[in-house]
Amino acid sequence: MLSYNSVVNDSIKYNDLTISVVESITKINLRGKKRDFITKIGKSISILLPTESNTSSNNEDLNLLWLSPDEWMLYENEKINSENDIYNLEDELFKEISKINYGSVTNITDHWVMINLKGQKVYELLSTSCPFDFKNFKQNKGSVVQTIFNHIDVIIHHKKSNDLNLFVRRSFCDHLLSWMRDAASRM
Amino acid sequence: MFLINCPYCGERDQSEFSSGGEAHIVRPKQPKELSDDQWAEFLFMRKNIKGVQFERWNHAHGCRKWFNMARDTSNDKIHAVYKMGEKPPIK
Ligand SMILES: [Zn+2]
Repeated sequence: MLSYNSVVNDSIKYNDLTISVVESITKINLRGKKRDFITKIGKSISILLPTESNTSSNNEDLNLLWLSPDEWMLYENEKINSENDIYNLEDELFKEISKINYGSVTNITDHWVMINLKGQKVYELLSTSCPFDFKNFKQNKGSVVQTIFNHIDVIIHHKKSNDLNLFVRRSFCDHLLSWMRDAASRM
Repeated sequence: MFLINCPYCGERDQSEFSSGGEAHIVRPKQPKELSDDQWAEFLFMRKNIKGVQFERWNHAHGCRKWFNMARDTSNDKIHAVYKMGEKPPIK
């Protein structure tokens, strides 16, 4: 696992908006088309794969986001406590899926950084540089969207009302954060 | 704003997509048997018409899937969006 210094150690707080980097969260990319793949995932982690576009499913510990008709992202709610944590879930899925060619399992924990956005003004912040129309997204808990935010690819997950998890590639994280800090300071 | 209806994700802004040029160009089965002119015809020559054109598009910043589109190049009106491998739903 990558060890690095987070750009934001504490959260950045504004009126009605809190931006915090949540590290480290286990994230796993799942790809597959076969029927066996879909049932195996359901059995291994006790969540059904969301097949409807722009949606997610979850249980107490895990969130499973729809990314494309044959691609999903799985992430944990709890931060990684020890080096072992990160590999348990991956190992389990790898054994059940990759090894027998049902699909592919890739650990992308270090690829994406999760940023939590919370407060009344989250959509106002996003609207500063996001071409996506959040009208329906806002109304449906569990919605997922992959779009661009300030020209950067992001995945946004509607976790709770005015509480979103945004995923950005690690190399863009620093830039996006300082840009959000600037945008939020003017709201 | 110019909206494109991705067959997988729904309506999204054009900035999320990238164009892949003319659709339905079939790769010759025996490239070795072609003359340079015939190969160049396949590789480089595109219709680039004014009017309804069939194109490939990629939802690059979304689901990353390719699909086809019938677009009027004179006014950007999208007449149809259909999946890869499907025949154009309009003439
Ligand atoms: Zn799409």
